[in-house]
Amino acid sequence: MGIDVTRTPRSATVREAAPAVPTAPSARRRRPGGARWAAWAFLAPVVVYLIAFYAYPLYRNVELSLREYTVRSFVQGGAPFAGLDNYRAVLAAPTFPQALLNTLVFTVTSLVCQFAVGLLLALFFHRHFPLSRTLRALFLVPWLLPLIVSASTWSWLLNSEASVVNAGLALVGADPVNWLTSPRWSLVSVIIANIWIGIPFNLVVLYSGLQAIPRQLHEAAELDGAGGWQRFRWITWPLLRPVSAITLLLGLVYTLKVFDLIWIMTRGGPTDSSTTLATWSYRLGFGNLLPEFGSGAAVGNLLILLAVAAGGCYIGFEHRRRLS
Amino acid sequence: MSRPTRGWWRTGLGVMLTGLMLFPVYWMINVSFTRDQDVRRSPPHLFPLDGTLDGYRAVLGQQLPYVGTSLVVGLGTVLLTLILAAPAGYALAKLRPPGGGAIRFVLLIAQMIPGIIMAMGFYAIYLNLGVLNTVPGLILADSTIAVPFAVLIFTAFMSGIPDDLIQAALVDGANRLRTFWSVVLPVSRNAIVTVSLFAFLWAWSDFVFASTLAGGGAHRPITLGIYQYIGNNNQQWNAIMATAVVASIPTTLLLVLAQRYVAAGVTAGAVKD
Amino acid sequence: MTRSIPRGRTVGAALLAAALAATAVACSAESPSTEAGGTYTVWDPYPQFTEDSDWVGLLKDCGTSAGVTVERTGYDTTDLTNKALLAAQQGNSPDVLIIDNPVISTLAEAGVLTTTAETNLDVSTMEPNLLGAGQSEGKTYGVPIGANTLALYYNKDLLADAGVDVATVTDWPSLTAALVKVKAAGKKGITFSAIGTEEGSFQFLPWFWGAGAELTALDAPPAVAALTLWTDWLAAGHAPNSVINNTQTTSWQEFASGEYAFSENGTWQLANAAKLDFEYGIIPIPARAGGTAPAPTGGEFISIPVQPDTGRYATSQQLVTCLTSGDNLLTTDTTLSYIAPVAAVQEQQVAANAALKVWVDAVKAAKGRTGDDLGTRYPRISEPLWTAVQSALSGAQTPQEALSAAQRTAASATS
Repeated sequence: MGIDVTRTPRSATVREAAPAVPTAPSARRRRPGGARWAAWAFLAPVVVYLIAFYAYPLYRNVELSLREYTVRSFVQGGAPFAGLDNYRAVLAAPTFPQALLNTLVFTVTSLVCQFAVGLLLALFFHRHFPLSRTLRALFLVPWLLPLIVSASTWSWLLNSEASVVNAGLALVGADPVNWLTSPRWSLVSVIIANIWIGIPFNLVVLYSGLQAIPRQLHEAAELDGAGGWQRFRWITWPLLRPVSAITLLLGLVYTLKVFDLIWIMTRGGPTDSSTTLATWSYRLGFGNLLPEFGSGAAVGNLLILLAVAAGGCYIGFEHRRRLS
Repeated sequence: MSRPTRGWWRTGLGVMLTGLMLFPVYWMINVSFTRDQDVRRSPPHLFPLDGTLDGYRAVLGQQLPYVGTSLVVGLGTVLLTLILAAPAGYALAKLRPPGGGAIRFVLLIAQMIPGIIMAMGFYAIYLNLGVLNTVPGLILADSTIAVPFAVLIFTAFMSGIPDDLIQAALVDGANRLRTFWSVVLPVSRNAIVTVSLFAFLWAWSDFVFASTLAGGGAHRPITLGIYQYIGNNNQQWNAIMATAVVASIPTTLLLVLAQRYVAAGVTAGAVKD
Repeated sequence: MTRSIPRGRTVGAALLAAALAATAVACSAESPSTEAGGTYTVWDPYPQFTEDSDWVGLLKDCGTSAGVTVERTGYDTTDLTNKALLAAQQGNSPDVLIIDNPVISTLAEAGVLTTTAETNLDVSTMEPNLLGAGQSEGKTYGVPIGANTLALYYNKDLLADAGVDVATVTDWPSLTAALVKVKAAGKKGITFSAIGTEEGSFQFLPWFWGAGAELTALDAPPAVAALTLWTDWLAAGHAPNSVINNTQTTSWQEFASGEYAFSENGTWQLANAAKLDFEYGIIPIPARAGGTAPAPTGGEFISIPVQPDTGRYATSQQLVTCLTSGDNLLTTDTTLSYIAPVAAVQEQQVAANAALKVWVDAVKAAKGRTGDDLGTRYPRISEPLWTAVQSALSGAQTPQEALSAAQRTAASATS
């Protein structure tokens, strides 16, 4: 199948090598000024758009986090400037280390498992067999469900009292597990649900990445007597790397900000055991009768910093890979 | 000769895996037929034994206008996303303006900002512009989920277009806009389909923006239609799940269509140099 | 790349200036319509009511009799607080706002609401314990539109099978004894909602107050006794572990499955109760040493937010009065499955449906969460409280540890 997400990033990273560095000499030495103006003309709509719809909300959020807001000053104005007080308070809160750790565990585990399962499935479906098309299409269905529904369904499946999963465990003689209500399992439960939601995306992208690898390479290697594992190790894996990188990056982007899934399934609880920075920010700003806008915004900004760091790591990593 | 047998063995495994993967979806369908008083029965019924069609009756009676709104919002988001992102992708990939790298980094980060932070800012802007609870307002907001992603995809894709193709058009006297329109866009069809599909899916399943910005309007998307059954003190689960089932139908159709469209692979060959 | 940044920055700055200017123009161009008649906006937390519902019909009729058009928007209740605050910040509040009662003190603190004295709203007929939630420092910020509260629903068939006479359930020991008998009969005891949100505090309060505890001393012995009652039930299997994550709806669904003897739930479930497969009854929640425990009041207030144009209050006042006057109040509260806040209307409700008697009594015994002059301190106490409940029920801490921690948090947040 080719929702060719795939050819895209692939051609991106493969062909882009030289052009990605803007200062590199290019073929268009002719009329550089004209090209520059044309470039900005083409870019202008997006830049205006970014400023209006990203910069402004972001500016507001930073502003919120730097002032000492009460509900009264939120409405009436005149909140005193508090510098980094909100950040200090948030960093000192007992929830912070837990939320940070949970965010990292949630993100990394989800990413790795989604990717691994997605890749295994892509390899599995890459070999055509009867019904493979249909089955692969069916795998995409979870992607189409509104998140609020999939999250509710999972909290249903994992409910402590009357859940199917526990009924299944009882069938094989195991004790029921308090998936959502014990501090030990709640984070595991939301991770499982998140992996499930992420599998279709990983499958689609990685599958199309596999499709783009020329078949002749495999055939040649097979003639040379390379086994399945060797072909994967020396052909598939290296050639899939650009696609893998983009998959992981997009996965990271969407995993880091997951909040509705966790909020619907556990509300971050019990006692912060599944609280991530995203749910914590929401809880501070929205999840209480008395909103704490300043702290909520501060946590949100910390999350964005984390995202910037992750994005920077990715770019640095890509850069080094290209150089080598 | 041995291939088919091996293939069928794979089919068996494939069916099992698909079954495992789709079990939650099955459960959703199961619940959509379950009577209110049975939903928490322990152990749960694997099949809706005393099934009811109440959920679907409620949906067909009340939800169809929401499906319409969601379609309009989805298509509008696709259109807006393409209009904004395709030229930008072209500029970043082929015209390489100074500062392009910075813009790309900003786009990357922009994607990671949680929707809820954006939503609060939007609410204030929208309230003043008077576009709360309107379809265009929602389209604009939903497009923010897709635009950064779309620009990155277009950039990646278009940098794969051979420079010669563009140079040839320029030499023939076409200006850059014309080149973009009649050379670059047609060969980027795969990227367009990809971006459209994602933009549509995200707009379709968006809940955060819908509830913040269109919560009370006459034009509500289907995700809020679902929320209608999650009342203040009560939740009608069979209706919620029935709505979800109905809401998945258009997206499933779309996925099947887009799959075929791309599978035709008209342009895939053209792009490969 | 380095050389190009300054250019990008100037362009960016110019665009930013342009965008901000555009926003500013948009802001100043916008102003609420002030013509005679005109449109009045109403926000309510009842998204389940569509345009053709009785509730919206009533709103429109009230608008017509006041000579204006009513534009009504139904928001999800959890969103409404933030929306009201943001709207007020932007100087764009609705003319009439219907909102959950514990939020009133927050909005009043924020200066979003007018007092009933300013807008000439008559609240003299309202029951004082219900009105309390809308009062702060001697001022009243709205009119209760209806009330609900908590009681214990029980499964008659199941209790009969287990040999429990519900009349003997009058205090905590007798309730626990009943649960023991139910368990011996192979059924499940009681279900409630202890989720980590306001809902969890709402459900815990009858036991908390019923033990004689006060919200200002979360770690006092009576409070520990109440939480210990719940943790012991979980440990003994009288209550399911799922309560930690149950919303009130989920716990109702558990009760509806017919497996549970008791369910702590609210007035609003009456319509669903009629659909149960078994006979049910309702008793008040017993206090620790007998008698009825005070349950928290639920339900909304209808209030008039501050407007830049004070000339609008007169019409808003007409709208509110219309909605809360005798017959209309009866219609509203019947639609919402609420108990009326006015004694005379309560009598009409009981006359129409005798089953409401127990609820009318429960509402009379109930108290507001933000009462006792807690006001906006309540939310700061409630969050540590529900956290402590979660912590103790999930076994992370003992009730005493959990509540001591909660008291420390609450004390530092409210000082």
